[in-house]
Amino acid sequence: MEAKGLFNVARKEFIDHLTSRKFLIILALFLVISAISMHQGIDNYNDRLERYKEQISQITGEEGIEPGYMPEKPSILLIFQMMSFQMSLLGAILAIVMGFDLITREKESRSLKSLLSHPIFRDEIINGKALGGILALVFAIGIALIISFAMLLLFSIVPDLNELWRIALFGVISVLCLLTYFSIALMTSTVSENSGMSIIYALIIFLTISLFLPMVGGMVAEIVVGEPPESPTYRIPPPPPTPNANENEQGEVIKPVKIEIPMDEEEWQRYEEESRAYWEKRSAIDGAIFTLVPTTNYLAVSSAVLSKNGGGLMFFGPGYRSETEGQDMLERIWKNILALIIFPLVFFAIAYIKFMRMDIR
Amino acid sequence: MLFQRKYVLALRRALYKYRYRKRSKGGEQEGEEMIKTENLTKEYNGNKAVDGLNLEIAEGDIFGFLGPNGAGKSTTILMLVGMIEPTEGKCIINEIEVARNPLKVKAIIGYLPEDVGFYGNMTAEQNLDYFARFYAMDANERKKRIEELLELVQLDGVSQKVGGYSRGMNQRLGLAQALLNDPKVLFLDEPTANLDPEGVFQYREQIKQLSDEGKTIFISSHILAEVSKVCNTIGIISKGTLIARGTLEELKNEFGRVGTENLRIIVETIEPLPEIEHEDIISAEYSEAKRKVVIESKSDLRDYISSELFEKGVKVKEMRMEEPTLEDVFLSVYRR
Ligand SMILES: Nc1ncnc2c1ncn2[C@@H]1O[C@H](COP(=O)(O)OP(=O)(O)OP(=O)(O)O)[C@@H](O)[C@H]1O
Ligand SMILES: [Mg+2]
Repeated sequence: MEAKGLFNVARKEFIDHLTSRKFLIILALFLVISAISMHQGIDNYNDRLERYKEQISQITGEEGIEPGYMPEKPSILLIFQMMSFQMSLLGAILAIVMGFDLITREKESRSLKSLLSHPIFRDEIINGKALGGILALVFAIGIALIISFAMLLLFSIVPDLNELWRIALFGVISVLCLLTYFSIALMTSTVSENSGMSIIYALIIFLTISLFLPMVGGMVAEIVVGEPPESPTYRIPPPPPTPNANENEQGEVIKPVKIEIPMDEEEWQRYEEESRAYWEKRSAIDGAIFTLVPTTNYLAVSSAVLSKNGGGLMFFGPGYRSETEGQDMLERIWKNILALIIFPLVFFAIAYIKFMRMDIR
Repeated sequence: MLFQRKYVLALRRALYKYRYRKRSKGGEQEGEEMIKTENLTKEYNGNKAVDGLNLEIAEGDIFGFLGPNGAGKSTTILMLVGMIEPTEGKCIINEIEVARNPLKVKAIIGYLPEDVGFYGNMTAEQNLDYFARFYAMDANERKKRIEELLELVQLDGVSQKVGGYSRGMNQRLGLAQALLNDPKVLFLDEPTANLDPEGVFQYREQIKQLSDEGKTIFISSHILAEVSKVCNTIGIISKGTLIARGTLEELKNEFGRVGTENLRIIVETIEPLPEIEHEDIISAEYSEAKRKVVIESKSDLRDYISSELFEKGVKVKEMRMEEPTLEDVFLSVYRR
């Protein structure tokens, strides 16, 4: 059979999302907030541009340009970076709201039994629901991008081709991020008895991966790797015996005196090596835990895409490492990209399996 | 326009009737098997909700599937329509095994679940259109069919969303939903559960009409009166097993004397009654100043009583005999 059933389900789901009040309210909220921050971002950008022009005119006014002194032209992509923060919070809420009752509502209203009595495969239903949700997410983000684009034009800022491409990429990454939360909600909706339980489970998972994991991440890394190796310079000898502790009448605390032992070349080298290994290990564990956090992945990838040199500091600062090449960047964030793709797939797979085995009565 | 459609419908019905009659007259063995179950069993946590059920229902039959709450009626239907898989045994509809080819079966059946549900955020038309899209119908056909069905279940002109429907309206929409694909076989699980008397009456008319079109109809219910009014064959299920099967008459004859072996004759007169004596009389209860008697007897004594009273010049206002009702049959079978 062709995918007729699948598309029918997807079509209905898509329309359902777009006409649902909760979707519209949250989307509107999201759009208003992004428009406001967009506005601020544009102001900020114009200020910078002004300063940049001043600097340029100063430089060109002087004799000869000193290399390395070239001020950087501000990028309009910074404006979109502001959007990514809202996207990761409000977008997550939007996605969860869209998904948490997709299956439970059908169970509660008993429409699932009616639906299944018509010639349709079960997997067409769950796939269609996923597809409809994805389309609605694409729609939401598309609208957000179109509005921000319109605002840019309103302020007579015209992005170049490269910037357009990056904005489009940013849109794709945003969809992936929201898709992660949507698939979590879809999963809890297939697993739960009712919509109430489903939203609670979805929120628990959301809070766990976006608040709890980053919090315990550092702790876990320390527990696994242990204390950092001690520097040989500051070895503290055992405190000297204090024969007359009572004599100290001023209540002064007697501190053990640090005695510097002359540096041992070999010992120092060993320390350096140990230390490097330690921090490497620790940051690897840290990083691994952080790739479990969709928001981190999203911010890492989107800031990489949006930063001017394609490189990246996670949170944009005043300076960019101009030596960073695209290759380098990819090396750094491929894990995050992979996680953004794998997460939705895993949650969707769980939802799929559970739905296929669900007892329909 | 409206008139025209009704006319077309009537014509089609007549045609169906004609075709169907011709076929059964034409020597072809009446009652080719349409629904069949073989050793159908469903277990839930070791308990058999349906236990080795063997059923055969002929094409064109209206089959009443009777049983008390929890007997396994819904479970059986769910297996028949391919919604749940049997633990053992199989269902065959129109010579297609359901578990093997559920989609092919679903294409030719209609199913009205108990407590049928819809999408509350959509209108009846939108709901039906969504389901209709799973069949090979183009937009025009869908529109026509949906209009026809909404008129049939008298929900045409209701623009309200289904979320605001009463239970009876919901149930009627359920029937329309089951008829979308003009099915050969129709499964109705407690179709009158939420209907008012008027709704029940209309439902019976609709069933008759559908039967005239040659459809095989499988109706589950725990209300005997409901089934006896529309069904021509009946099966009684209790605790997952079939305990009786046949036409209404056969069942009455088979089980009629069980538990209520005696007849009751009720006589009402204008003058006070004399003592009536006969060897077959077991008991006689007089009431209303001897103007009414309820006699329990082993045989039909109406002729005897009537001539007795005539001789004694007592005018009869009413005399009737109560045979065991189907209700009695049903209860006596249930309780065995
Ligand atoms: N999901 C389930 N898990 C365990 N037992 C079940 C399940 N579904 C049904 N049963 C059992 O199967 C038996 C038959 O249930 P079924 O719904 O088929 O009865 P029914 O004849 O339709 O009753 P009613 O007239 O109340 O609709 C019942 O005893 C019920 O407890
Ligand atoms: Mg039932």
